[in-house]
Amino acid sequence: MIPVSENPSESETGIPAVDATGLPDHVTEAEIRESAAREHREKLRSFLTNWQGLTGLILVILFFASAIFAPWLAPYDPNALDVPSRLSGPNLEHLAGTDQLGRDTLSRILYGGRVALYIAAIGVSVSLVIGLILGMIAGFGPRWLDSLLLLLFDTVRSFPTIVLALATVALTGPSLSVVLAIVIITSIPQYARVARTATLTLRNTDFILAERSLGASMTRTLLHHVMPNVVGPLLILAAMDVPVVVTVEAGLSFLGLGVTPPTASWGTILNEGYLVIRDAPWMVIAGGIPLILTTLGFTFLGEALRDIFDPRMGKGR
Amino acid sequence: MPKDAIHAPETLLDIRNLSVDFRTPRGRVKALRDITFPIRKNRIVGIVGESGSGKSTVLWALLGLLAKNAEVTSGEVRFGDRDLLHASEAQLRATRGEEVSVVFQDPMTSQIPVLTYGRQMRDILYRRPNLSTAEKRRMAVEMLGKVGIPDPDKRIDQYPHHFSGGMRQRAGIAMALLTGPQLLLADEPTTALDVTMEAQIIHLLQDLQKELDATVVVVSHNLGLIAELCDDVVVMYAGEVIEAGEVREIFHNAQHPYTRALLECDPARIDDVSRKLPVIPGDIPDLTKPLSGCIYAPRCQRAMPVCREKLPPDVARGEMSLARCHLLDGPHHDPSWPPPPDVMTVGVGETSASKPARAVSDTPLLDVSDLNVQFETVGPLRARLRGLETRHVDAVLDVSLSVAPGETVGLVGESGSGKTTLGRCVLNLVPGQGGSVKFEGQDILNMPEARFKPLRRDMAMMFQDPVGSLSPRKSVRALITEPFQIHGITDVDLDAEAERLAEMVRLPGPFLSRYPHELSGGQARRVGVARALALNPKLIIADEPTAGLDVSVQGEILNLMADLQAEHGLGYLIITHNLPVVRHIADRLAIMYLGRIVEEGRTAEVFARPVHPYTQALVEGVPQPDPDRRRAHVSISGEVPSLLNRPKGCDFAGRCPFAQDHCRAEKPPHVTMVDGRRHACHFPLT
Repeated sequence: MIPVSENPSESETGIPAVDATGLPDHVTEAEIRESAAREHREKLRSFLTNWQGLTGLILVILFFASAIFAPWLAPYDPNALDVPSRLSGPNLEHLAGTDQLGRDTLSRILYGGRVALYIAAIGVSVSLVIGLILGMIAGFGPRWLDSLLLLLFDTVRSFPTIVLALATVALTGPSLSVVLAIVIITSIPQYARVARTATLTLRNTDFILAERSLGASMTRTLLHHVMPNVVGPLLILAAMDVPVVVTVEAGLSFLGLGVTPPTASWGTILNEGYLVIRDAPWMVIAGGIPLILTTLGFTFLGEALRDIFDPRMGKGR
Repeated sequence: MPKDAIHAPETLLDIRNLSVDFRTPRGRVKALRDITFPIRKNRIVGIVGESGSGKSTVLWALLGLLAKNAEVTSGEVRFGDRDLLHASEAQLRATRGEEVSVVFQDPMTSQIPVLTYGRQMRDILYRRPNLSTAEKRRMAVEMLGKVGIPDPDKRIDQYPHHFSGGMRQRAGIAMALLTGPQLLLADEPTTALDVTMEAQIIHLLQDLQKELDATVVVVSHNLGLIAELCDDVVVMYAGEVIEAGEVREIFHNAQHPYTRALLECDPARIDDVSRKLPVIPGDIPDLTKPLSGCIYAPRCQRAMPVCREKLPPDVARGEMSLARCHLLDGPHHDPSWPPPPDVMTVGVGETSASKPARAVSDTPLLDVSDLNVQFETVGPLRARLRGLETRHVDAVLDVSLSVAPGETVGLVGESGSGKTTLGRCVLNLVPGQGGSVKFEGQDILNMPEARFKPLRRDMAMMFQDPVGSLSPRKSVRALITEPFQIHGITDVDLDAEAERLAEMVRLPGPFLSRYPHELSGGQARRVGVARALALNPKLIIADEPTAGLDVSVQGEILNLMADLQAEHGLGYLIITHNLPVVRHIADRLAIMYLGRIVEEGRTAEVFARPVHPYTQALVEGVPQPDPDRRRAHVSISGEVPSLLNRPKGCDFAGRCPFAQDHCRAEKPPHVTMVDGRRHACHFPLT
């Protein structure tokens, strides 16, 4: 008796014939397409079901929106004086009260957010890019270059930010670009360190060796194969770094090293409020709330992102 | 010797209707479904299956050590009068280690690196408070001696990193046996070890089982190991037990089509090397989907319509023998199944009689002569401080080798033999320190990368880890077409090339948009082959092309490589430790030991009449998937010495059964025999 098989097979090889799409009968093309998209949807869902992440995201969106749309949202010009109602508490006319010159605190907070956003966005992204490049070069390049760059990073890291800022301002005078420069210089090393460690672990993996065996140049290897695998944790680090940058800016402005009057910044609002804290505590409170919310928002967002995208975290929890 | 003759053994552990689900983002994976089999006392039970068959899950379910997302949905595990599945955590802890203990796959990671063996073994006996520390130590020393560790009373105070891989696995076995367990579970105990070590561990387990009257469960994908070691065998496929029985029943008279196919696919069982390797087509089914009928039906050569609809019956043969197939019983019973053992049931492909007798060309494609590769072990300053004369170890020592166009050369050796380093040096990924490497007559050793880059189009490498050698954030399409971009070839349609290459390696088109982690080992290997072939190279260096692949998939990849060779006249240098596989594909073999080639010749001759004792040991060291061909003794003992203290004489003298004083004093030179074979032995065997 000739065995009759349900699986049709090619007469010669005995390998089952496949249908027109070239797929075995238990896999359909749609399923394969689906599997690529599935992971993204899974990550999105686990993000949306994470209350911390969602809170963080809302706060971050609020921060961006309030800063970008400040000219339309703010009820007054931030520098418009309303001397009769100076140092007033929150009322219907001035929702967050006024300062000692009678300027509307809410408007100043909204405009101050623009400074914070400017510093955070430019400072973090520039230092991220520079740190990433330097870190990858340190991790991938020759040993002496690695040592040299590490020495440089550690030198910069060993300066206390505030002292570095004080020294610089003593030379140049206070300005927003000095704050920005300080922020960038002091945060490059931490990105570079993380990027270097991640690159080092990738350096001897089979796939990097495979790229070398194909003749890929160092630039290509770094750009196409190392960077996509390194940048993930760095972006999460950047999200968690934004509040640090915002507080550094506020701190420097508080000390009078940052933005110059009359420009509004969360730090200057706190500084001015601090001078009159006995008479009008509202200013300090109103100036502190956005700082707290921004810090919380970015920290929550960063932690949620890390939980979802870093496979080493959150396994079996 | 048959142990079956003794009266029917009682059951030590009884697994009944065990089902385990894993909760994953993709849905519930029904990893184990209705597993029932007994583990009989004083026997070695082998659980065999391919990856994804659930064989390890059974093991962890017994111990209650399943991952957090696992859920036991039904069943019980009777151990004496207890049910281990529903025991409390305290009861389980009392059982684990005391009555049931485990030997792990990788002794590198399963031992505590910062504690000495003495301390680790004392800790294992923590449930014996009335034993003094000295007494515990005495027990540990005794057990280390029993597993064959020399000077146990000294070595017990050493740390795991002082032990070599084989010794560490011996120590792992000693730790597992220290408490005198009734049941020893071994999860792939030899997978991390070399062939010669594997044979030693198999014999050790066998001897210890006899001596201690223990019951052993071995989980493995290696049919040779199972045949050599086990009394009872359980065959698993996709979370079901599809066949169980005594070892001879399984290996000589397999009832289930899958078992039959699995045995037929094992290259070690196929003596006829002129044929292509048989394969089981298809993949293991997706266990998140609702399943109906026979789990193996989509891949079965004898599938009938009923197989896809109705669960096949469990047809019992003996006390613990059963097979789950419609062909064996019921309305679809086929008396002609199973066919006699010499009839193949799976596709074998056409005989490759067409393999052309190649004219030996004058210029070999690749010609390596007296190549030396050294690795620096200490920096120049430290060497001077310590007064060391040599700062280097020779990873590759005086190696000569050639590959002709269209020829397959197998480079065989254990781990640490320098075979991978040699392959990388040829491709200019590792600098060489002496000798020459010629590619089509052009000297390429240590050529600057800028000049070497055009040559990379003619030489490609396949890396050991099929998934790990693919850049994880790139789609298959991007990976396959990358060689064109690297070499600035712009006059091709990349999409068309991707489709052409995918078709060439028989990778279905929709896989082009997948990412490496979404591929199975076999599919990832195909992508690797496609990448290597993209620029029509002349030479391919394949580092362990079958590593990480299941037996049924190995054949597909090797057949594919053979087809491509016939089509394009490729030269292959295949680096492997897998002798059964290399026997089927290589025209010539070079055996490497400690960085030197000890024997080189035509494959058939090397296998039939090994000249070097090491080659003989390797050839005999392969466990045969036939319980009647068990080896009575281990041919060589000991382990590969460290490169740091290379013996003064013959590298193999320390382990060679025929070694004489002359061997220990002087390194044997390479000698070419009259039939063209070369060897490095003072006293060749023939």
